[in-house]
Amino acid sequence: MTTPSGHRALSEPQFCGLVDELNADPARRGALADLLREDNPIYDQHGGAVTVRMRGWVLLALSRAGLPNSALLFALEELDNGRDAYLVAVAARALRSYAQPSRAFAPLLMRAISNIHFHDDLFCLECYGGYSESAAGTTAVREVFAALLWLGAHAHAVLPEIDAISANKTEEFSDALAGEAGRLAEAIRRAAATQGHAQGHCCAGPADLGSFRAWAPGSTGNAESIDSILFEDQDRNRVDFGQFFRGQPSVVTFFYTRCNNPRKCSLTVAKLARLQQLLSERDLADRIRTAAITYDPAFDLPDRLRGYGQSRGLRMDAGHKMLRAIDGMSTLCAHFQLGVNFVESLVNRHRVEVYVLNAAGHIVASFERLQWDEREVLAQAVALLRDTR
Amino acid sequence: MAIELLINNSADARAKYVSWTPSQCKIRLADATGMTQPVPVKLRNKPGAAGGKAVFYASLAAAPAATLSLTLPLSGTSVSFFVAGKFGSPSVADGDAAIQVRAGTRLLGEFPLMVRIRKNANKLTAGERDRFVAAFARFNDRGAGRFADFRSMHTDAGSPEAHGAPGFLPWHRAYLLDLERELQVIDPSVALPYWRFDQRAPALFSGDFFGHSDATGTVHFSATNPLQFWSTDGVPGIKRRPLFDTATSGGNNLRNEAQTLAFGNQYVLFQEMEGDPHGLAHTSFGGSLSSIGTAAKDPLFFLLHANVDRLWAKWQKRFSRYDPAQASSFDRNAAGGGNRIGHNLGDTMWPWNGITGTPRPPTAPGGGLAGSPCVSAPGPQPAVRDGLDYQGRVAASSRLGFDYDDVPFA
Amino acid sequence: MNTKRRGRTSAKTSKGTRKARAGAPARSYKANWTVAANAGRSVKNRVAALAGLTRAVCDDNETFQGMLSILRDKSTPIAVRLAALSSLQAATFSVIKFNACRPAYLAALRSVASDPDPELRQRVLGVLSREHDGYAQKLLLEGLQKPEKALVPPEKALQLLSYDIHAEAYPVAREIVRKPPNAAAKREALRLLAADAASAPVFEKILRDKSESAEIRQLSASALLSLAPAKLQAHARAMVLDKSESDELKSTSLTALTHFGEEKAVAQDNALQKTVGLLIGKAAASAILKRVAKSFLAKYRR
Repeated sequence: MTTPSGHRALSEPQFCGLVDELNADPARRGALADLLREDNPIYDQHGGAVTVRMRGWVLLALSRAGLPNSALLFALEELDNGRDAYLVAVAARALRSYAQPSRAFAPLLMRAISNIHFHDDLFCLECYGGYSESAAGTTAVREVFAALLWLGAHAHAVLPEIDAISANKTEEFSDALAGEAGRLAEAIRRAAATQGHAQGHCCAGPADLGSFRAWAPGSTGNAESIDSILFEDQDRNRVDFGQFFRGQPSVVTFFYTRCNNPRKCSLTVAKLARLQQLLSERDLADRIRTAAITYDPAFDLPDRLRGYGQSRGLRMDAGHKMLRAIDGMSTLCAHFQLGVNFVESLVNRHRVEVYVLNAAGHIVASFERLQWDEREVLAQAVALLRDTR
Repeated sequence: MAIELLINNSADARAKYVSWTPSQCKIRLADATGMTQPVPVKLRNKPGAAGGKAVFYASLAAAPAATLSLTLPLSGTSVSFFVAGKFGSPSVADGDAAIQVRAGTRLLGEFPLMVRIRKNANKLTAGERDRFVAAFARFNDRGAGRFADFRSMHTDAGSPEAHGAPGFLPWHRAYLLDLERELQVIDPSVALPYWRFDQRAPALFSGDFFGHSDATGTVHFSATNPLQFWSTDGVPGIKRRPLFDTATSGGNNLRNEAQTLAFGNQYVLFQEMEGDPHGLAHTSFGGSLSSIGTAAKDPLFFLLHANVDRLWAKWQKRFSRYDPAQASSFDRNAAGGGNRIGHNLGDTMWPWNGITGTPRPPTAPGGGLAGSPCVSAPGPQPAVRDGLDYQGRVAASSRLGFDYDDVPFA
Repeated sequence: MNTKRRGRTSAKTSKGTRKARAGAPARSYKANWTVAANAGRSVKNRVAALAGLTRAVCDDNETFQGMLSILRDKSTPIAVRLAALSSLQAATFSVIKFNACRPAYLAALRSVASDPDPELRQRVLGVLSREHDGYAQKLLLEGLQKPEKALVPPEKALQLLSYDIHAEAYPVAREIVRKPPNAAAKREALRLLAADAASAPVFEKILRDKSESAEIRQLSASALLSLAPAKLQAHARAMVLDKSESDELKSTSLTALTHFGEEKAVAQDNALQKTVGLLIGKAAASAILKRVAKSFLAKYRR
């Protein structure tokens, strides 16, 4: 059977076989990281839960030989944004196999606890899919604790948060986990005392973690084909790519209204609203455009776009739009190299992604996978007002 | 001679709604042509009105009376008084009650109003039911309406803000109030009814109202019911499988009203009702209602919670637990160092406060809590404490503008 | 897993049990648990006792583990097992308190997803489906693809799969629409397909097919109103004007137009207004059709 994209569809057992085969061969192991890209055809037409199982298996395979640099960002992304406890557990385990602990990982691990501890589950990570039917097994929070222990002194900056878990004043954690947190804190303190801990800011920027990408000129596809893509906005106005995205720099995000991860689409659109506010405060709202484009144009009709944007405080006018592609969605995906895949017309998985375009409509920068900072994105766009990139 | 009477101190037509709790009003001579002395007037409920009935208070400290005598200055200065619905006589339609103002035998004016009360859903008239259903369906707007925000407020992501800690009752009171006010923008005659889950409710679980379920748990509506177009998360329909006979009984094994009110006179004891009867009311069904992350997909959720809120209101009345300063009115967990964020009296509540990021959820869809033309409280960003004094007994300005049919003010 | 809590509510006694803090509710849960756990007590008494344990489920590890054991124990009367499930479910609403119990709870649910008792299976798979649990989805899909492995009827499996629009259920749903094992399965398959915008043409076709049941056509109207409201409006109008259309579908159409129609277009549609006006006086028109016609005219009468 082939998928609509023309690739041979693999069953899950076949997929596992492929992963094991690649992992067993050091010369081919590098291809495993490529299997983590959302747009990899291997995920085409697979459902969300299947995609989770497949990705988890790849990360676990990578962790057996040591998480390579090429896969690090995928693990960090799960910690930063993940809603699925299994993938958070797997990501934390995979991180422990990385060659070098870093202070930059600590806040992401703590964010993972905050994201997941009310939706945790029990896992058998040795089993494909991780599902547990018994009381034995691990949890996402336990795996994150293990990763923090591995960080040792590098986790010193997040000790106050670990201490808060240990104190457990609001009883959000079981006594067992609170106790583990206490022992973790002690271990980190001992490690810091032995090895010392570097002072200074613990939180690395996106460039340090690999989520910022500067696009080389000409690295996107055929400008003519993208120009002809026709959009409809939240007010049913039609505009093509060239009409909206040429003439001024712009910031473009992607989302869809049926995303069930609030740290992805809902937060992305809310952050775009905050970026719009920063533009207004700097009197730049008429000089830099913003757009939120839906991955799901068939369902996200104008009234849905409008409602979603309004409830997140998004400004919508001539220079700031929510858009759906009337046609050319595949061209759009290719042009932006979007990290998304589909089951039928629905998204099965996507990454957080925001793009900065210059006045010629060319992509000059993107922030991918990890949560982006509105000010950093704004700075990229503002820089375009000054130069001729 | 002409008079002006402002209900809820407002000329806004949308402010002509009162409950059992006294609403401040103003009356004045708008045109005193031909008058040489201040004008004595008598206010009374319009006789013969089939629906709501009004009672009057000279001041909040006074007892309610069927009539009220006032003297209107020639200068046109307003005179304040209070009006409320007569307990036990709620309106059944918009404007079915009225205040008559007479000077002697002369009728100076008749001012329609509605005694708008949250009622037992099983006892609504056909008109009340149809208006409520129409407003609710419109609010959902086949899945594309503002109801989507309310659905998003009650998912797994936001659940720690609203459950398992003392803020459970105030949070849901705010949630229901926000929804009700949004429905009242569509139809101001609508009030949120409650599902009395310890009693049978065959009228509620019917095709013309909230539907009847088949063996699979699919809810069916009559062809005239706009709720047949209800949609959430992109999927049409409602999944609800009662695990009890809705025609003959209430929910399974849950505490009845008397048992719930018998939890005790301290909030720290009463909040146990979150498990039983509240939790058991939810799990008296298979389907969306029985899991926290999907419960708000079913519109019955709001009627279930209206009953939870009514029980709290009844408990408050019984033990006079309105004052946030009173220890027994709330659970401060003072010994433990306080409750989780969002569950302390002074905490503003998500999502209305717009605060996002750990320890709050990542986003706060929907904006501030809806305002009302009738009252100013609680404001767009309510705190936990704002939910306690809902009748304005401690501070009149705290009044939230709703009442239940069987929980009086006086 | 040790779920004993420390901190604000209690101090441990020498026996390791919890001493209630001043003002906290009297802990009758121990008494309830004693009854619930006692196989010698009547089913009725045990069920009532389990209902009294909702908030206490996660306060004491022994009680919690005991509830899970009751759930798992195939030799326990099913009514008692279902009552344990209800109490556990009710306890999940106390999110913060239940947090510590959640992983073991979910694992226990998976362990009984294939239980011999059909009611327990259905309820457990329902809970897991609402969590978007991949394990449950896998079982449900397998049951649809291989009926001999089905744990619940096909209509129920489809209904549960529709909680997650990202589930891989669309191909099997289409197949069931094509060859339905029963009417309810076809209906639930269509409902699931309503999440896929590309299915709009399917619903248009069914809506106008008078050989389809009223229920299926009404579901199609609902799906089309969500996916392509302008198209539904056009079809609804046509159906009201169609003399050979059933009263039930006319009623559904008029309800859609009354509450969700594009108001300006409907208000200016003279032919529609006239037809609806005639319905009220038409002796052969059903009561429900006249009722919705009156609602329509109340909104649109000029």
